[in-house]
Amino acid sequence: MSTALAGSRWIKADLRARKGQAALTVLAVAGIVAALITAATLLEDGTNPWRSLFAQTDGAHVWLYTKNSPRVALNGIDGVTRTAGPYRSAPVTVAQGGKKEPAALRAMPATPPTVAHPVVAEGKWLDVAQPDGVVVERTFATALRLRVGASFTVIALSGERHTLYVRGIADSAEQGFYPQWTPGLAYVLPAMLDRVEPMLGRSEWVTGLRLADPDATQVVSQRVVVMLEDELQRVYTWREVRAAMELDNRLLGTLLALFGVVGLVAAALALANAAGGRVLGQLRDLATLKSMGFTKGQIALLLLVEHGALGLLGVALGAVAGWGVMALVLGATSVAPIPVLAIIGGTALVVLAAVGLPAWRGGRTPPIPDVPSAPPRGHLSRLARLALLVRLPPALVLGTRDAFTRRVPAFLTAFGLAVPMMMTTIGLGVWATLDDFADHPEQVGQHASLYVRPGKLLEAADAKRIAEQDRDVAAVYPGTDVNALAPGEARSVRVRAIGSSTAPYPFSVVEGRMYGRQGEAVAGQGLLDLLGVKIGDRVRLTVGGTPLIVRIVGRTVEPDQDGVVLSVGLDSLAAKDAVPPEFYALALKPGADQAEVRGRLMAESAESLDVQAAVNPADRLSIIRVVIVALIAVLTLIGLANLLTASALGLRDHAFDLAVLKAMGLTPRQVMATLVMGTGLLVVLGVGVGAAVGMSVVTGLIDLQGHTSGVGAGIGRAPSALTLAIAVVTAVGTALAVALIPARRAARAQVPVTSR
Amino acid sequence: MNAVLKAVNLVKIYQDGAVPVPAVRGVDLQVEPGEFVAIMGPSGSGKSTLVHMLGGLDTRTSGEIWLDGKRADTLSESAWALLRRKKIGFVFQFFNLVTNMTVGDNVELPALLAGASPKVARERRESLLAALNLTDRADAAPAQLSGGEQQRVALARALANQPSLLLADEPTGNLDSRNTRDVLRLLSEVHKEGQTIIMVTHDARVASLADRLVSLFDGEIVDDGRIARRRTGTAGEVIDLR
Repeated sequence: MSTALAGSRWIKADLRARKGQAALTVLAVAGIVAALITAATLLEDGTNPWRSLFAQTDGAHVWLYTKNSPRVALNGIDGVTRTAGPYRSAPVTVAQGGKKEPAALRAMPATPPTVAHPVVAEGKWLDVAQPDGVVVERTFATALRLRVGASFTVIALSGERHTLYVRGIADSAEQGFYPQWTPGLAYVLPAMLDRVEPMLGRSEWVTGLRLADPDATQVVSQRVVVMLEDELQRVYTWREVRAAMELDNRLLGTLLALFGVVGLVAAALALANAAGGRVLGQLRDLATLKSMGFTKGQIALLLLVEHGALGLLGVALGAVAGWGVMALVLGATSVAPIPVLAIIGGTALVVLAAVGLPAWRGGRTPPIPDVPSAPPRGHLSRLARLALLVRLPPALVLGTRDAFTRRVPAFLTAFGLAVPMMMTTIGLGVWATLDDFADHPEQVGQHASLYVRPGKLLEAADAKRIAEQDRDVAAVYPGTDVNALAPGEARSVRVRAIGSSTAPYPFSVVEGRMYGRQGEAVAGQGLLDLLGVKIGDRVRLTVGGTPLIVRIVGRTVEPDQDGVVLSVGLDSLAAKDAVPPEFYALALKPGADQAEVRGRLMAESAESLDVQAAVNPADRLSIIRVVIVALIAVLTLIGLANLLTASALGLRDHAFDLAVLKAMGLTPRQVMATLVMGTGLLVVLGVGVGAAVGMSVVTGLIDLQGHTSGVGAGIGRAPSALTLAIAVVTAVGTALAVALIPARRAARAQVPVTSR
Repeated sequence: MNAVLKAVNLVKIYQDGAVPVPAVRGVDLQVEPGEFVAIMGPSGSGKSTLVHMLGGLDTRTSGEIWLDGKRADTLSESAWALLRRKKIGFVFQFFNLVTNMTVGDNVELPALLAGASPKVARERRESLLAALNLTDRADAAPAQLSGGEQQRVALARALANQPSLLLADEPTGNLDSRNTRDVLRLLSEVHKEGQTIIMVTHDARVASLADRLVSLFDGEIVDDGRIARRRTGTAGEVIDLR
């Protein structure tokens, strides 16, 4: 008790004397913990909205689309417990606020089914009393800015317009979120659908199967493929829906986790370095405390409590911040307690371990205060000898010598700066990659920036003519997207037929070659992984009953559909699927404005063309830039904490030398240069090594992430030389400026020959 | 009457390098309550080592140390620390105030450590600082004080727990003559109140303040004798130092 009282006085006094450094430590640790918690939450399955949506809606595990209402007993399949539908579904275009969005109008009864029933979030479910009522899927409604009661104009394939009214907005687990997953989904009563689209041939039937065992998906869907044969248009399972809902979370989570884990190592080092440096600076005080009656263990405990408390405070702040941000963004229930507790416990242990060693060493301080604890007097380092050989100014030589007298802190300082610098370089690389996406969409498979679909009044040929006549259009590629069934796979894959085999659409082929004739195809990484094939293999798919046999000759960078896309020339497809083309992809001339061309095309065709702009992946991932800025800020704090320690230690070691140096005839400026040089050399070393290591791993890391996400390797970009140079110069400059302030004060001070 | 301190055949040999360096070779010393002993000797004679050993800051190689009739040399480092809290006050040449703490906190710290309540510790600090004329500097940082003031604070700190033994290692070694005089006057005052003091010095004039002079040479006691008091009183003698 008495020791605690006396010890707390000492801790309070010491913390008061180094407020800035203490605050830096707390903030750095807090930032890392917040990043880790955010990462864990994003990576944790619980944040994926699919799980709760699926549970709320009693969702179906397998969804199949057929041309006609399936006439076989699907609920007779082993493992299928209940079925939803079949519901009739018709493709329509929703005209809302000058925009036209593709939608699927689904017929649903007024009494919600027991399986896969959408959960009404706002308003009410369909009712026969309001035949023109429509219930819109929530993300689709958000994208269209629809509210309950708003009008909802649909244009059928015949070109007929119908005005419906939004009766409710509902959540559903049967497809991914709009606009990542198109078309958007809206529910109407069957009678209404018959009015909007009387032609049965223009609609399809949707059936959901709920399984006893979710893992039986594969078996069941293959059984369905066999039973329905040509009837079947496409199949997808809960796995694809879940993957579609989590895509961005995973990428962000991975990025945060990488930064968080490496940052934690850096923060632990910074903490150990700060505690160690502080202990070295306090050896005399510690000895005095011992002479007054503090025991070895008490001193160690005192140091552990002081430095550990700072770290633990940071952990607590970080936990609150991380939890708060996640609760705010994803809702209070999204944060899973177990990983968060594990992170808090783990980081707390790391913090205590990091300060434990310096604390233990501090406890072993001999209790005789007057023995000066001189830094190890080393011989001149090799660097210093080199500096002498080339006749550098004395300040530089002395500084060079000083930089390495204490090996461990010197290493910790350089390493402690190298790690943040490495991560900063990686962050800049991610930034450069995003910039590259935005500036060169053709390199990520987005050569065309506008997609034109002929409307109801136009023939495909007219649409092509209008597009070709525009002065800013460089090339027009006819194209069609179809869904294909892969043998042995429980899901449909996208086949994108665009251009022709002889005049191919300029995909960004990163491996193998572009297809050059009929029967050849290129694929995204996701497709290669899904089918377990490699370049050179032949694959057999079924498109609406017609087999499609192609040889994969190359791999493209494929940002859509998790890379599960096979791209072929339009002539590789059967004529029934390929003619007329579903859309035209327009590549614009350099410098042409997307929106301007779109406006012109709309005017030219008297609003009858449906013109859509390609969505660049970089736009969707712009949140990453915010994350990068925040992470670089945290890393800067860690770097600064290291620097303060280094310069404090340098000053302490040289307080005695200053008088001697002055006596030898060094001007205050030279003394200052000596001190700054001591830290500056370590800074330059750390920053240089960090930047070099970062540069060497950045493209590999991004490509690895690209590979796992299905987009495929070949997207990674290192930061430009200029960016990196600016980052390095800024880091070194800031570091020198930070080292300069205490050095200046020390050099100017009238230094008595003090004892230590 | 029991001796406050008794050292029997105390030996210290430093084993740093290949060659063992004997610093103290067989010292026998007995200090009675209320005695003021000055230990003198040239540099390297082992006087600081001796005092450090007597206070438990350094371990002995062989021999015995008895404090207040109890054997202390066999104690562990931690047990020595606990013993120091109540029985020993230290004053060093370079003052050794805890740099981050205010003057007041420096003086309160030993009292708190010995188990006094914050209120008692504060009262004791106020009376000590008042006695040393430092009341108005209580909130200052040690670095803002002159050397003499710092040493007076260090003395207050050493006396905060009314230790049975005050060990002073060159307390005036780093002070000018005026501050030396101030510190010595304080030492003699506490001595008059019955404080047992062992003081290391190499200054004969400082040593002359003591009752008894022990001369150390190459780690051995070469002379141990009482200083004859002049009848003219002690205060004047201190002033003569100027």
